[in-house]
Amino acid sequence: MRFALFIFTQTLRNIRHSWGVQLMTLLTVILSVLIFSFFYLIYSNMLQAGEKFGEELRLTVYLQASLSPAQQQEFTEKVAAFGKVDRISFITPEQAFQRLARQLGNDSDVLADLNPAFLPFSAEIYPHKDIRNLTRIKEFAEYLKNLPGAQKVQYGQAWVERFGHFVKLLRFIVIISGTLLILTTMFMVSNTLRLTLFARQDELKVLRYLGATNSYIKGPVLIEGFALGLFGAGLGLAALFFLFQWIRNHFSSAGFLQLFELRFLPMTNSAIILLGSIMLCTLGSLLSIRRLLKK
Amino acid sequence: MLETLNQPPAAASPALVEVVKVTKIYPPDVVALKNVSLSAAKGELVFLTGPSGAGKTTLLKLLCRQEIPTKGLIEIDGNDLNNLSDNDIQKLRQRIGVAYQDFKLLPRLSVFQNIAMPMEVQFKSPGEIRSRVTELLEKLGIREKQHKPAGKLSRGEQQRVAIARAAASSPLLLLADEPTGNLDAATTGLVMALFQELNDNGSTIIIATHDESIYQGSNHRKFELKQGELF
Ligand SMILES: Nc1ncnc2c1ncn2[C@@H]1O[C@H](COP(=O)(O)OP(=O)(O)OP(=O)(O)O)[C@@H](O)[C@H]1O
Ligand SMILES: [Mg+2]
Repeated sequence: MRFALFIFTQTLRNIRHSWGVQLMTLLTVILSVLIFSFFYLIYSNMLQAGEKFGEELRLTVYLQASLSPAQQQEFTEKVAAFGKVDRISFITPEQAFQRLARQLGNDSDVLADLNPAFLPFSAEIYPHKDIRNLTRIKEFAEYLKNLPGAQKVQYGQAWVERFGHFVKLLRFIVIISGTLLILTTMFMVSNTLRLTLFARQDELKVLRYLGATNSYIKGPVLIEGFALGLFGAGLGLAALFFLFQWIRNHFSSAGFLQLFELRFLPMTNSAIILLGSIMLCTLGSLLSIRRLLKK
Repeated sequence: MLETLNQPPAAASPALVEVVKVTKIYPPDVVALKNVSLSAAKGELVFLTGPSGAGKTTLLKLLCRQEIPTKGLIEIDGNDLNNLSDNDIQKLRQRIGVAYQDFKLLPRLSVFQNIAMPMEVQFKSPGEIRSRVTELLEKLGIREKQHKPAGKLSRGEQQRVAIARAAASSPLLLLADEPTGNLDAATTGLVMALFQELNDNGSTIIIATHDESIYQGSNHRKFELKQGELF
């Protein structure tokens, strides 16, 4: 207990001694954590949105002619031959016409003189999870197009493809900023602490003459590293949270963001970022002191 | 008083400091100590005298392992300094108080903090530290300077801070290098009284000095160094 108290007061003394550099380091850690977790937040939201789109993903096959119940059965079997399908619903021109009218709402009178027969008979296919990745969907669409009676297949190709690329890009940014986070925290922390130790060289020398053990000298430095990691990540995540709230409040009316619900990082992920940052900073402080005590 | 010059006071009391045929050569070829042997018994107070450059400081540095002898053996409280691990050296240093000739104070820390350092290193309780430091400040007449940065003090005041720090943890062995070099007669008296008190309480004390006034007429043993050799 007394040991802990001393290490603690010694740590405070050290921090007061060189608070300028320490503050700079803290800011760097905060910024690194903020940048990384910001991209990670976007990434995880995108993944989530992607999953949701996937659930709503359907392929519409426009057919040349209406299918009788027996033909529908046959068609369903042919589709299932490619892969598992959650559901297939057949839309008659009348049903399609009603849907169109509903979508047009007040403007539905433009349809007044038209015969529903101008709309094709179609099958809406909701693929199973297994074929919900981009290449499989493409193959599936190709397969459907070649079924007898099929005229055209639609599934929002361009959109799905662009979304896929976007997620890939985000993953890349997350990895880059994660590496950046690791490097900056490690190097900044170990270098700052080395600098402050260097500035305290006289003191350390005297401390050794007075019989200070390694743990007496190491302890405070390790705690400094630990504290930098803890407060750096804590403040970084808090900043991210406020940024997140602000974005949600100011852009929630923007169409693109309305498509899916924005969610903050889950507790476990935040905890992992916090622990990771503490580990990195403590490791950095260990590095700084190892070289010093070797002499 | 049965003590005679250069004879250990009582054959029964074991030696705390044992120096056997020690030679110290500073590279490349400065012979600071030549084949020096001496011992101090537990609880003894001895003087180390000799002209400037005789090797007094060097000998004290060897005793607290600030320097390593080129040849010879040094034992403190039965520990051969050559065979101690780093950690053991630190543990031993905790029991040796040194008032350095160049003080080695931390100029930016307060007088109080400087004196408290050896006790902090040993994890003494804050209450104990406070009362001990206050006591020493009182005894050496620098109580009102306790909150000043040590670097802002006069040489004589700094010297007393260095002595107080060396005495703070009531060490087993106290090494004082020219402890009265910057002091007037009255303050010298304060310092010598403190040493006497520590000695009465069991500390072994080695005082290196060329201030005749503090050893003349005393019945403590004294070792005289001249150009690195003992006389
Ligand atoms: N680090 C060093 N490197 C080289 N030579 C040194 C070193 N320290 C001391 N010396 C030399 O060793 C000799 C003894 O020095 P030392 O400091 O032990 O003398 P001293 O008796 O304490 O003198 P003073 O009374 O002036 O303090 C001197 O000739 C000195 O120049
Ligand atoms: Mg000297």
